[in-house]
Amino acid sequence: MVTIKGSGEGLLIHFGEELWLSQLRELESKLQSNPRFFRGGQVTLNVHRLSLSRDDIRRAQALLNKHGVTLQAVLAQDIHTVTNVIELGLPARLSETESLRDILARAKPSKDTQALPQGPAHMRGQSQSGPRVVEGDIRADTDIAQDAGQVIGQVEGSDGLLVRRRVRSGQILRHPGHIVVLGDVNPGSQLIAGGDIVVWGKLHGSVHAGAFGDTGATICALELAPSLIRIADATRISRRHEKRTKPARPEMALIQDQEIMIVGWQAK
Amino acid sequence: MESVVITITSGKGGVGKTTCAANIGSALAILGKKVVLIDGDIGLRNLDIVMGLENRIVYDAVDFIEGRCRLKQALIRDKRAAELYLLPTAQTRDKSAINAGQMVRLCDEMRGDFDYIIIDSPAGIEQGFHTCLAPANRCLVVTNPEVSSVRDADRVIGLIEAAEKGPAQLIINRIVAARVKRQEMLSTEDITEVLSTPIIGIVPEDENILTSSNRGQPIVMNGKSPAAMAFQDIARRITGEDIPLQPLRASGSLLQRLFSRA
Repeated sequence: MVTIKGSGEGLLIHFGEELWLSQLRELESKLQSNPRFFRGGQVTLNVHRLSLSRDDIRRAQALLNKHGVTLQAVLAQDIHTVTNVIELGLPARLSETESLRDILARAKPSKDTQALPQGPAHMRGQSQSGPRVVEGDIRADTDIAQDAGQVIGQVEGSDGLLVRRRVRSGQILRHPGHIVVLGDVNPGSQLIAGGDIVVWGKLHGSVHAGAFGDTGATICALELAPSLIRIADATRISRRHEKRTKPARPEMALIQDQEIMIVGWQAK
Repeated sequence: MESVVITITSGKGGVGKTTCAANIGSALAILGKKVVLIDGDIGLRNLDIVMGLENRIVYDAVDFIEGRCRLKQALIRDKRAAELYLLPTAQTRDKSAINAGQMVRLCDEMRGDFDYIIIDSPAGIEQGFHTCLAPANRCLVVTNPEVSSVRDADRVIGLIEAAEKGPAQLIINRIVAARVKRQEMLSTEDITEVLSTPIIGIVPEDENILTSSNRGQPIVMNGKSPAAMAFQDIARRITGEDIPLQPLRASGSLLQRLFSRA
């Protein structure tokens, strides 16, 4: 089964144990049903233990390219797959955020492939070199200490990307779940989330929440002044020309009667 | 001696990268440092003109990299300071003539011989910029107090951080205190609010810059104009001296003119 996870910049696509071609068909239907979410994106494939030929990898790359998606790295545990990816010399590009690097840094090297380049130390200054192949499994830190209190997160919680820094012009954050930014989102940047977007700071970039069509998605910010707001298929252009009262108050954008409305933040 | 490689960049063109490179390099040399200036703007070279060394170019960096000369033959010594050199670039080629690896090797070749290697990066965020970024130990980003150059500086700072060459330091160039006061121009605070990048210098608008560039005489070499003093301060901050940023004074007042002429 093909599952898609966010990893800072770029998406991580996990593959299961099934036949490669049938999984590629599954990926294709995902790409086709959400073109807006994927187009222009960069993905890393995690093929886990699958043993793939060069043709297999080429096929995946061609499929991604057809949908405007760039293949930036392949994660694999099979030595033949790793060798084939390296030999293919796929175009790979360095991510513009640390997030991917953090994930790459967390990747644990496995014993049978220690001779291969891996880990961030090898990646410095290789922004335009060949494909990056990194070993091992990636998993998010999910060990949350449970205390005796009432647990409500399990009911409503879902995957999110937390970014603790300023998002600068030209940077794109794309995540299938929610995006939370602790910091300002500068003009010229872009946030695209399958779920909600929360900015603990000034939101001046372009944002798209509910990118898979969730009309219930919301966008909240301490200062909500994006150049472009999209929720699901609805669009609203800049409100920066509107006279702002200072100091700015936290606001929320949501869909009401098929239109994007902006309301003052009210705690529920 | 371990050189510090400083890349001066901006994203946007025309904000004063070359002027900053020429003046900061000259100011460091006047402080007694051994400095080489590298023109990274292949095909659109200007640093030689601003330095007034255009007529002394025989070989350039591309000639050296392609094996047509030795490094010493391409370096032009500027006799106005004790140890100031210019490595000009080719005017008849384009950015593809030197790649990042070659720029790193070029700097490595000089690393033992200079205190500071200053690279004047081309405008833009394409190959030429990445080539100049590759060997950098420090990056100075030049911006003007206006929205579009600040936006481009933001983009470039993001790229510098992604390349693990950060944190960048900011030079705010061509500021006019009176216009900031009238809110016609962004203030230092406005710029810091967007970029949150440490400022290494604020250079006031100065009409002497134009004539000094045309004459090939970096302004720090003669005169105590406001811009010259700002560049001297930046050079001293680069060497590690703790010099607080000067509060902006409304230039053009009688008092200011009297002082700047002294």
